[in-house]
Amino acid sequence: MSFFGFGQSADIEITLDGAETRKTADIKSEDGKKERHLLYYDGETVSGKINISLRKAGKLEHQGVKVEFIGQIELYYDRGNHHEFTSLVKELARPGELTHNTVYTFEFANVEKPFESYTGSNVRLRYFLKVTIVRRLSDIVKELELVVHTLSSYPDMNNPIKMEVGIEDCLHIEFEYNKSKYHLKDVIVGKIYFLLVRIKIKHMEIAIIKRETTGSGPHTFTENETIAKYEIMDGAPVRGESIPIRVFLAGYDLAPTMRDINKKFSVRYYLNLVLMDEEDRRYFKQQEITLWRKGEKSRKSQTASPHMPSHLVSAETGFPQGAAQNGPPSVTPPVQSGQLPSANITNVEDAQAPIESMTREEGDGEGAKEVNSESN
Amino acid sequence: MVSLFFSQPMTPAITGVEEQEKLLEDAIGVVKVQAFQMKHCLDKSKLMDALKHASTMLGELRTSLLSPKSYYELYMAITDELRHLELYLLDEFQKGRKVTDLYELVQYVGNIVPRLYLLITVGLVYIKTTPGLKRDLLRDLVEMCRGVQHPLRGLFLRNYLLQCTRNILPDVAEEDDEDGSVRDSIDFVLMNFAEMNKLWVRMQHQGHTRDRERREREREELRILVGTNLVRLSQLESVTLEKYKKLVLPGILEQVVSCRDAIAQEYLMECIIQVFPDEFHLQTLNAFLKSCAELQNGVNVKNIIISLIDRLAAFSQRSDGVGGPGSPNQVPGIPQDVKLFDVFSDQIAIIIQTRQDMPPEDIVSLQVALINLAHKCYPDRVNYVDKVLLTTVQIFQKQNVDKLEYNSAVSRELVRLMKIPVDNYKNILIVLKLEHFAPLLDYFDYEGRKLLAIYIITNILENETLIPTQEQVDTVLSMVSPLVQDQPDQPNIEEDPEDFAEEQGLLGRLIHHFKSETADQQYMILSAARKHFSAGGNKRIKYTLPPIVFQAYQLAFIYKGLKDQDEMWQKKCQKIFQFCHATITALMKAELAELPLRLFLQGAIAIGEIRFDNFEMVAYEFMSQAFSIYEDEISDSKAQLAAITLIIATFEQMSCFCEENAEPIRNQCVLYASKLLRKPDQCRGIATCSHIFWSGKSLATGGKEMQNRFKVLDCLRKGIRIASQCMDTSVQVQLYVELLNHYIYFYEKGNTTFTVDIVNQVIAKIKEELPNLEVSEETEQIQKHLANTLEHLRNRMESPEADGLSYQGLIL
Repeated sequence: MSFFGFGQSADIEITLDGAETRKTADIKSEDGKKERHLLYYDGETVSGKINISLRKAGKLEHQGVKVEFIGQIELYYDRGNHHEFTSLVKELARPGELTHNTVYTFEFANVEKPFESYTGSNVRLRYFLKVTIVRRLSDIVKELELVVHTLSSYPDMNNPIKMEVGIEDCLHIEFEYNKSKYHLKDVIVGKIYFLLVRIKIKHMEIAIIKRETTGSGPHTFTENETIAKYEIMDGAPVRGESIPIRVFLAGYDLAPTMRDINKKFSVRYYLNLVLMDEEDRRYFKQQEITLWRKGEKSRKSQTASPHMPSHLVSAETGFPQGAAQNGPPSVTPPVQSGQLPSANITNVEDAQAPIESMTREEGDGEGAKEVNSESN
Repeated sequence: MVSLFFSQPMTPAITGVEEQEKLLEDAIGVVKVQAFQMKHCLDKSKLMDALKHASTMLGELRTSLLSPKSYYELYMAITDELRHLELYLLDEFQKGRKVTDLYELVQYVGNIVPRLYLLITVGLVYIKTTPGLKRDLLRDLVEMCRGVQHPLRGLFLRNYLLQCTRNILPDVAEEDDEDGSVRDSIDFVLMNFAEMNKLWVRMQHQGHTRDRERREREREELRILVGTNLVRLSQLESVTLEKYKKLVLPGILEQVVSCRDAIAQEYLMECIIQVFPDEFHLQTLNAFLKSCAELQNGVNVKNIIISLIDRLAAFSQRSDGVGGPGSPNQVPGIPQDVKLFDVFSDQIAIIIQTRQDMPPEDIVSLQVALINLAHKCYPDRVNYVDKVLLTTVQIFQKQNVDKLEYNSAVSRELVRLMKIPVDNYKNILIVLKLEHFAPLLDYFDYEGRKLLAIYIITNILENETLIPTQEQVDTVLSMVSPLVQDQPDQPNIEEDPEDFAEEQGLLGRLIHHFKSETADQQYMILSAARKHFSAGGNKRIKYTLPPIVFQAYQLAFIYKGLKDQDEMWQKKCQKIFQFCHATITALMKAELAELPLRLFLQGAIAIGEIRFDNFEMVAYEFMSQAFSIYEDEISDSKAQLAAITLIIATFEQMSCFCEENAEPIRNQCVLYASKLLRKPDQCRGIATCSHIFWSGKSLATGGKEMQNRFKVLDCLRKGIRIASQCMDTSVQVQLYVELLNHYIYFYEKGNTTFTVDIVNQVIAKIKEELPNLEVSEETEQIQKHLANTLEHLRNRMESPEADGLSYQGLIL
């Protein structure tokens, strides 16, 4: 900051209150590296000390010292424009001179932090503190990243996802996920029931897909990212077979669903059920799920049940015990594993359930590429 | 951890042996490397890394390229390594590590096959350290395994589950136990069983039809995996009869019946029979057999039922049995309240009814099994056996079976069926009590009936069964009628004479087993038998009637023995000999000569010894019959000589004639002897005749020898004269030597008309002629004969006997 070696300069250090005890969280930086920062929640006060130390003896003239709390959205295709949705400023010193190292305290009380920190492929939402010593030629600036997690309470409505899908005369299945909204450490429990199988299925997997949408109108960018692929079935089932699903979410890099954040972007999650046949055709059906972040404390109380871990399934339905009751009246009666297949067919017809179509892709699609890349 | 993705090969393999070996070798190579690294990590307590290596190792089990056999080897290699992991984890968790986390952790593995193997391994540790969760964990594991629907991989995965849990399945009866009860174990294994069976059955329907044979072979190789489930169930000690009846068996049977796969059904039913105790089977027969009726058409139900019957039959025979269920002091074997035979009989009837396509031989096989059961479990209940026979008859009636062709499958089975009572009772009399034995016999064609007839007779002979009444004799003979007389359906082929003779010989031996305790009854038997046998035609009676005649003679002797008790014995004897006479006459009519001749002679002797009223007349009749046969029927000169010799010999034995009757017979003998065609024959005949004049007896001599020395001398002189007329010197000398022997015999017997001179003359005559003989084998014999004779004389001369007979003046 100093030209020709003369002129005063200063280092700024920001120390947040309670930094030793506060939790931290990882977040990806723009270049994909993981960084660890202190973690804040909505409404929490952000306070601390700012330590300005002069580089050498003498005074430092300035036009004022301020600290800002900024929440902003950066769209990578629009570098110049950062959309600040939050910007709070605290004046620490009026214009004047600094003659010795100075410590300022600051406090942003009960700051509203409406969104979750997020680093995506086309967009980034970040919070940071910015201390500026305003000077005539060049300001001395120090930024400190913060991570914000948004916590949600239990959703009021959390119906299971249940659907009969298929391709006419080829494949009919009924799938069921126990919820439509999952918290980030949740377990997806469900099952696939095969009503009609006329293709030679090789295996079946569930993929978790993150879809990030940025911009609006003609400038909409959509980026799909497969977060997880999880094989749930090996080999070809026959009609009447019921395959259990159990996917633990905690192990994957997931964030809560974000819908239309500040009208700039959305991040949504989909469960993609994919069946692959022996000719490498893929049959899939995507279903959106909502992810949410749950407070730590309540989570503990939930898993506290010592007797029965939540991730065990009951033998009958493949669902956690008691989970089925809160669903909507089912389209088809719950399928018992021992029931005769023919009985089910009639049930389906009676109910006149609409069969949604699945998507079929030919073998030279994604699946084949994966096979190649993996076998190398 | 999610990085292991779908590198699954897509060509279901038909690969050669070499390729298989190569593939297996590669896979085992990977396993070794990964296992080594896994253990290395475990040693350094890097659990996460160890799990990663374990997962990679398990990834090898995702292959579709290996044959079941190679896959099995790979599976064994891998599960062997997994044991290290299990032991390590067990150790860790006993030190207090949290298992829940790990149970969740291993579920992040992206591929299902390695994931489930790890889950089972960890789950096992989890159960061992947290017994309270056993029930839920078992349920969870068996449920999660549904994800593998590939038959081969699924079967092995579930086998691993079964192997791992074998020692921890709850085996206590109490329902409220936290660690689970045997009920949970039953549910667990039954579910695993059902799923494995589905996978196993599914193999049948995958791939090309031309590979069917190979597929079925592979299925055979894998069946033990499915069967192990049943073994596991049978090893649960808390499974009581009650539980078996209500839970285990219905569960298994439902699966077996509903899978509708012949291979599986056959194997599994057999498995049930073999793995569960007999006590259980006894109490669940109805359920089991009912299911048998519902099996697929291709299933060989017969084998299943037979196997069950055999087992139960064997069980009932084991005297060391631990006793049936129920009271402890119950006699081992079949409990009283189990109507084993009735249940089987009814259920088999139902099975036969429902399975229309069952081949008749299989139906008969079932009856064979049933009859075996009746024999082994209820040896005293002849009516059970008869019931089986009746059922068989009814089945044949229903199926409109007319004749069973010999050596057809049905016929063979039926032969087996019929042989069982014969073999088991070892007593034809019991077999005769079976009302439906004979009707069933009629279903065979000629060959079949004959075969069984021989079998029955052989059985009688071997067991020396005596048949004591006329009715039984009647029945037996109608059973064996293919041997006794010509059959309407008999083929027109000339039988092998040797075989025929052998068969008839059997019949002959059979006759000797017709033995009643009372003589009157015996007579009835013989006449009944004769009635049967006389219908046999000329070629048979020569085998069958003589034994009857001999039996009759014996009977006559019996009557003689009874003469003090039976006033009528003389009349009866007379009747017997009339019977014999008629019988022998029947043989004569069959243009037989020698046989009736001999029988008459034998009869004459018998009569002579028994001496009932009027015996002489009857004996004379028999003798004269013999003579007339000789006259009318015997024309061959050799036969004539033999016959006349026999007549002479017989007569020589007899002493029952008064002189009035004896005289003509004697003369007749001499006459016939001298009328023989050939000179040597005449010579020998006459020489033989000489004996009736010496040792012959009659009423007149009072049983003593008549010793008419002049007549004897006459005969021998005549002999010498005839011999001298022979042209052939060799024959002549031979005759001389023979005559010499006669002379010596009578001389030694004390015939005083014989002198040493006569002997000397004969010897001189012989010595005169002897050198003229050509050297030949015959000559040698003659010389030898002579030498022996002379030797005898020499001995006599050197050591004269005490009776004063001396050979003084003998010139050797």
